[in-house]
Amino acid sequence: MASGLIGNRTPAPAAQATPTLAADALGKSYGQVQVLSDVSLSVRAGELCAVLGENGAGKSTLMKLLSGHLQPDQGSVLLDGQPVRLANPMQAEQLGIVLVHQEQLLAGELTVAENLFLGRELRRGPFLDRARMHALAAELLASLGCRVAPDMPVGRLSIAERQMVQIARALLVPRRVVILDEPTAVLTPHEVDALFAALLSLKAAGVALLYISHRLAEVAMIADSVTVLRDGRLVTSRPAAGLGELEMARLMVGRDMSTLFPPKAAPPPASASPALQVTRARVPGQVREASFSLRPAEILGFGGLVGAGRTELFEGLIGLRPAQVEQLVVHGRTLAHLSPRSALRAGIGYLTEDRKGRGLLLRQPLATNLTLVAPFQRFGLLDAARELAAMEQARTGFDIRAGRRDALAGQLSGGNQQKLMLAKTMLTGPRILVIDEPTRGIDIGTKAQIYRFIAALAAAGNAVVVISSEMQELIGLCHRVLVMRHGRVVAELEGDDMTEDAIVVHATGVGERAA
Amino acid sequence: MRHGVIGAAAALAAGILLGAPARAQSGHYTIAVSLPTADHGWTGGLLYDAKQEAALLEHAYPGLTVIVKPSASAADQASALEDLTAGTKPDALVVLPYDSSQLTGAVRRVKAKGVFITVVDRGLTDPAIQDLYVAGDNPEFGRVAGKYFVQKLGHGDVVVMRGIPTVVDSQRVAGFQQAIAGSGVKILDMQFANWSRDEGFKVMQDFLAKHAHIDAVWAADDDVAQGALRAIAQAKRSDIRFVVGGAGMREVIKGVMDGNAMMPVDVSYPPSMMKTAIDLTVAHLVSKAAVRGTFLLSTVLITKDNASEYYDPNSPF
Amino acid sequence: MSNAAARAARPRRIDPASLAPFAALAVLVLVGTLLNARFLAPDNIANVVTRASFIAVIGIGATFVIAAGGLDLSVGSMSAFIGGSAILLSNASAGHGLGTALAVGGLVAIGGGALCGLANGLVITVGRLEAFIVTLGSMGIFRALTTYLAQGGSLSLTPDALQDLVRPVYFGSVLGMPVPVLVFALLGGVAWVVLNRTPFGRHVVAIGANEEVARYSSVAIGRVRTLTYVIQGGCVGIATILYVPRLSSVTPTSGLLWELQAITAVVIGGTSLRGGNGRIWGTIAGALVLESVANIMVLSNLVSEYLIGAVQGAIIIVAMLVQRSLRRN
Repeated sequence: MASGLIGNRTPAPAAQATPTLAADALGKSYGQVQVLSDVSLSVRAGELCAVLGENGAGKSTLMKLLSGHLQPDQGSVLLDGQPVRLANPMQAEQLGIVLVHQEQLLAGELTVAENLFLGRELRRGPFLDRARMHALAAELLASLGCRVAPDMPVGRLSIAERQMVQIARALLVPRRVVILDEPTAVLTPHEVDALFAALLSLKAAGVALLYISHRLAEVAMIADSVTVLRDGRLVTSRPAAGLGELEMARLMVGRDMSTLFPPKAAPPPASASPALQVTRARVPGQVREASFSLRPAEILGFGGLVGAGRTELFEGLIGLRPAQVEQLVVHGRTLAHLSPRSALRAGIGYLTEDRKGRGLLLRQPLATNLTLVAPFQRFGLLDAARELAAMEQARTGFDIRAGRRDALAGQLSGGNQQKLMLAKTMLTGPRILVIDEPTRGIDIGTKAQIYRFIAALAAAGNAVVVISSEMQELIGLCHRVLVMRHGRVVAELEGDDMTEDAIVVHATGVGERAA
Repeated sequence: MRHGVIGAAAALAAGILLGAPARAQSGHYTIAVSLPTADHGWTGGLLYDAKQEAALLEHAYPGLTVIVKPSASAADQASALEDLTAGTKPDALVVLPYDSSQLTGAVRRVKAKGVFITVVDRGLTDPAIQDLYVAGDNPEFGRVAGKYFVQKLGHGDVVVMRGIPTVVDSQRVAGFQQAIAGSGVKILDMQFANWSRDEGFKVMQDFLAKHAHIDAVWAADDDVAQGALRAIAQAKRSDIRFVVGGAGMREVIKGVMDGNAMMPVDVSYPPSMMKTAIDLTVAHLVSKAAVRGTFLLSTVLITKDNASEYYDPNSPF
Repeated sequence: MSNAAARAARPRRIDPASLAPFAALAVLVLVGTLLNARFLAPDNIANVVTRASFIAVIGIGATFVIAAGGLDLSVGSMSAFIGGSAILLSNASAGHGLGTALAVGGLVAIGGGALCGLANGLVITVGRLEAFIVTLGSMGIFRALTTYLAQGGSLSLTPDALQDLVRPVYFGSVLGMPVPVLVFALLGGVAWVVLNRTPFGRHVVAIGANEEVARYSSVAIGRVRTLTYVIQGGCVGIATILYVPRLSSVTPTSGLLWELQAITAVVIGGTSLRGGNGRIWGTIAGALVLESVANIMVLSNLVSEYLIGAVQGAIIIVAMLVQRSLRRN
């Protein structure tokens, strides 16, 4: 993966040059809670500085302070060595500082080009210069290796493509400092390569880059320097050279991270009667044909590129989108009708990859989310006591950490949201669990925790499907991996055959043709 | 401009029509009638009268066709006028415009095709378009009521419930104020009740709460008066001597006939003006006598003595 | 942790925004009293609160619809339509005794309301159409049907004995409380329990908060959404039962603009127009605010009758701004 880029790393600029952007002893608190204290950091022209830390370490707060979204309580922001007050993001952008958000902030009804130029449309006289905007948009997207048509509505793009559009939007005008918050979380390896190439050319153009990521391998690959935060404080700032992934993880978590994945239980015997048997499933426009079977206590991985039809296959099987299937057998019983309710009754639980848009009611309390599928009731009324008990059980059983007891789901970190979704799904008593992108946007400590939950659920006899774009995750966690390409299952990998190379080859089809 | 006493004119017209049907058989005439749809009591009566009169005249004159076309809004009426004159053009158009200024242009285009134009009640902004204008006398509507208050009360405090803020309403209120000027009758309070029964009830309740003593109520509309009466009955107030409405609603005229003490009189503003307008238009076509000018229907105080003349038990209004 | 301990550990925080409509009402009462002491007279207060009952009852139904992210513009003309139908059928059955006529009228109103709501709900959910367009259409249909039934005139309860029989439904009182006030207080209590303490109510809010999340959580979206419109229709039926006895008649202008007043009451009450939360008591307070503003305008001599609408509009906007400023971030 992206191995060719390592050699391209440009030498770090001379240390004595004045930093383009610097944080000087920044502090920020919300009420009683100090979320950031005494954090200093600097980034020079042409330098890529990675900012690491677990969720809640203060990375996002720091980035927002540096881009005018928040104002510091202590310390100051220096631009070219001079203190500046960034009252709002617009002011920061005028000074050449831009933050690319992790959240998707695009207007779904507008086209790619319209989104790129939103608020800074090009005109010819009183009219919009659509032709020029389209041409520029196409050029910019191509330079990022993103092949979406400028006149495509953003709502029809995949999450990865939207991420690229959002990055493109930040790069539309020349910048001095670009801050990227987890840009690669939703990208495929191919897209990551294209993004890195674009970042390298920005570096070469003298742009200072701040880069937040959970993917330590990437950081090791492209960062010139690494700044690690823990609990709102600076742990270290040092050159990236010679810093290994495990060392970075140790700095972030504050303890040794020798193992990310729990030991694999022995795979279930092939003779075991399947928990789920799917014959010739089709989802119009997405999945041409997919057949597979899943055994109890097995963790089955689904790999492939974004758009290969993995999510769509399972959403079709549980009736969330139109699909046809020749035969769907759940624990020996044929399921005739595909609908969310019948899937629920058959004991299939599904965790969507889109936690915020489809998984949780962000403005509702945790307990409401936990029991949403089938709220506890007594005599037709909600049973608050059982609901609270279930919430307590989920809190301890899945280690859900909420700052306040009356916190809303939207106030949880991504990792805790994922744990809440897991608890919510398990409350319906599924025996088959489908988890789409279980650790997207989640810090490394929580990742390990979620892997342990998944392994434990499988060990307890549940059949688990893991859909993931992170190949290490598939290899480290699953007994078996199916690779999808263009709406078909193209490969089944097991044991030692499960390697990143094998998955990439089948997912892209590139190696196959060469062979 | 000529003013006729329309009662006589209408009788004359009817006489020409009904008395001499043979003359009309020689010609075929089409009259288009465009008016607002029945969205409240008064327009409901209007439509009822127009249809009644159309049937009556078509029966009397086999060569006559009367097309009655109600419209739900000003824009709707403008389209309807275009449709009515698109194919075979009618010989005459009787129109009660939804809105004066919005429909002046549409009626002018009909006029340009050589159609005889009769405008009813709400005038166009350009009076030159109309051949004939038939309307109620709004200032007189207010004056007749005002005179009754002066005569009946001598001295006293009255509250006024206005209609919807329009020219019609302003003219009526001005007439009322003019009639009571210099007398002992004083206006205590004035609010809009929007010619609606519910609003009449609400506004009256509030008047009763606000004023400890009220001698009489001018509701300017029979629907509003009905609502006001309910509010007075509920409050069990004995200071209010009477309520005067207006327009000649069936139930109210029945009450006047039966000697209702709280609503002893009514002021006519009959929707039958539509009848009159159609009659006069037909008279113009059939008799070949020029019936042109402005005809204001006299506004009459309906009392116990003359109420039976204004009572039609079948009218929906 | 025991249940009792868990409950004790979660103190009920009162969201200041939920108090805003009541604060607005208190301010209005104060202002009204200062402008004219007669505002506080028991008769006037009783009048205002009773008059607010139609919008309060309809608003209770609208709270469900709006909490689920829907909208019903047809309530005003629906009320006129089922009121007209109830009057005609009551009159027709008066020959079988006044009790029968009364029962027929009541059943027609509530059943008819529920059916009209069901029709709205099914077209919206099964037909997958925008609620705005569907209910705008049914608003016109109900209004035209009413005009047709009344032939442009008015529909009145006959004979007079029937009018006398139903009059206490609006004008009567029990233990000093006007009947309509008892009705909306009772209905408010029931509605609050349904919205806040039942699985159905929770699913209503979930659909309004994020329909996709509800769908991915196997919530029966179509059924829940349709039911909100049925509830709305039933509430319109109850409001109509309160309304008809007042004037014993329905005209084609009955219930005109009630839809906007109901929506305004719901929004003043703190329910988001985009859905995802519902505040029953807030809606009732909103209805009282609307009616009080109108009453104060007439009682005071400050404002020309031509400008009353402007002042009412301004007061509503100010109330909303205050509420926004109180919202917890």
